[in-house]
Amino acid sequence: MQDNSSLQKTIDIGEGAAIPLKSDKGLFTAWRIAFFGAIATCLYLAFFRPDEYMAIFRFIPDGIIVTFKVTVGSIILALIVGLIAGLGRISSNRLINGAASLYVEVIRGIPLLVQLFYIYYALGRFVKIPDMASAIIAMAICYGAYLGEVFRAGIQSIPKGQMEAALSLGMSRFQAMRHVILPQAFKVILPPVGNEFIALLKDSSLVSILAVSDLLRRGREYASETFSYFETYTVIALVYLILTLFFSKLIGIMEERLNEGK
Amino acid sequence: MKIFRNIAVAFCLLACSTVVAFAAPKTIKVATDATWPPMEMVDTAKKIVGYDIDFLNAVAKEAGIAVEFKNTAWDGIFAGLDSGQYDAIISSVTITDERKAKYDFTEPYTSIGQILIVPKADMSSRKIADLKGKKIGAQIGTTGAFEVKKVAGVELKTYDEIGLAFEDMAAGRVSGVVCDEPVAAHFALKKQEYKDKFKIVGASFTKEAYGIVVKKGNKELLDILNRGIKAVKAKKLDARIHSKWVK
Repeated sequence: MQDNSSLQKTIDIGEGAAIPLKSDKGLFTAWRIAFFGAIATCLYLAFFRPDEYMAIFRFIPDGIIVTFKVTVGSIILALIVGLIAGLGRISSNRLINGAASLYVEVIRGIPLLVQLFYIYYALGRFVKIPDMASAIIAMAICYGAYLGEVFRAGIQSIPKGQMEAALSLGMSRFQAMRHVILPQAFKVILPPVGNEFIALLKDSSLVSILAVSDLLRRGREYASETFSYFETYTVIALVYLILTLFFSKLIGIMEERLNEGK
Repeated sequence: MKIFRNIAVAFCLLACSTVVAFAAPKTIKVATDATWPPMEMVDTAKKIVGYDIDFLNAVAKEAGIAVEFKNTAWDGIFAGLDSGQYDAIISSVTITDERKAKYDFTEPYTSIGQILIVPKADMSSRKIADLKGKKIGAQIGTTGAFEVKKVAGVELKTYDEIGLAFEDMAAGRVSGVVCDEPVAAHFALKKQEYKDKFKIVGASFTKEAYGIVVKKGNKELLDILNRGIKAVKAKKLDARIHSKWVK
């Protein structure tokens, strides 16, 4: 088997909106057109078509906050789960390695929507957890598996010699991991983690099936009461687009900063 | 000359097919959200059954049409009618002014009311307002949800299916559920898993009537259905269907 680990400096996983970097001129322009176009469309609808649209814009803000809470809560929890899973996947302890691999394999093999239903209603059977927390836990368990693979790939992208050198200096494996390997790995990991964050933001719309009043749920509630399906889902789509583009830009800036520091 | 002949043939074919379409009994496609027992549900044989299904079949028989049911999620059921995916909806649809402004309803075919269901352990709550500061579940876009929304201080949680609201109440995430009386009776009194957990409190607090929904201005179908409903009522078939499903 060929050992690619030392060559593998970057990991490309693209589930979210593409992250615009200054170096990529075409995408940068596309981002600008989409972002400002979406904002302009929203403003146009709110102020020039207020009869149909103003009520929608008034109905959904608390949904945006819920979407945001679910996304941030899930990514934080998923990072912790992912780090544990990732370390487990490269562990030489067969039991830990097996458990982590099994977790990743099982979770990645089940659609997120099915998992959400399962975890939400299965958790409800055994323990009393509020709805929002259940949704966050369900999302984190799923994304933890994806992030686990990102962490594993990131750690394995650091040349083996680094670990060997650290060990020969008298560090323990844990110390070497903490002070030598992980700090370097994080730089490699950050772009795909950003990508996962954007993907998670979009997938958070799935929690609307769990009766969590997120952005999509609020939209559906509004549409099912007023029957203005077209208008409502136009607004919902635009708001999601603005959110994802905003965050992908933010992550792009973060990445550029990180590269400058090199 | 050949092109004229082709056009003539095409016209003949078109005429023939139209004649055939008129000769066969007209089949209408009807949407129903089969998650609302005992009014409409899917049985263990994956068949859509229930009060509404029996009722519309009886109506169709009287009116001389055939019906094909389509199981459709509730919160898109009106949008599907808009876009012409089916001709009518029979899905325990309460006739309201807001809905009447956008769609046409047949004559009402049965009356019901909204009712509150709470866990058995709750000894004090009798009405929605008694659950101030708590969450109440209802199906999205239903008159039950609208009623909860009207009461200030109570948080409404909407579900895609009413069964999920009951499951969430069993898990302790909501303190009450509001839905149509027959559905409440099905979940709180008949369903084995919930019988010992839930109870119906108070009496129903709205007066509503169900109607069959058609697209605004579809007078042809509306007349056919109304004729059928009239015949079913005259023969008292609806009373028999009622006692079969609701009791």
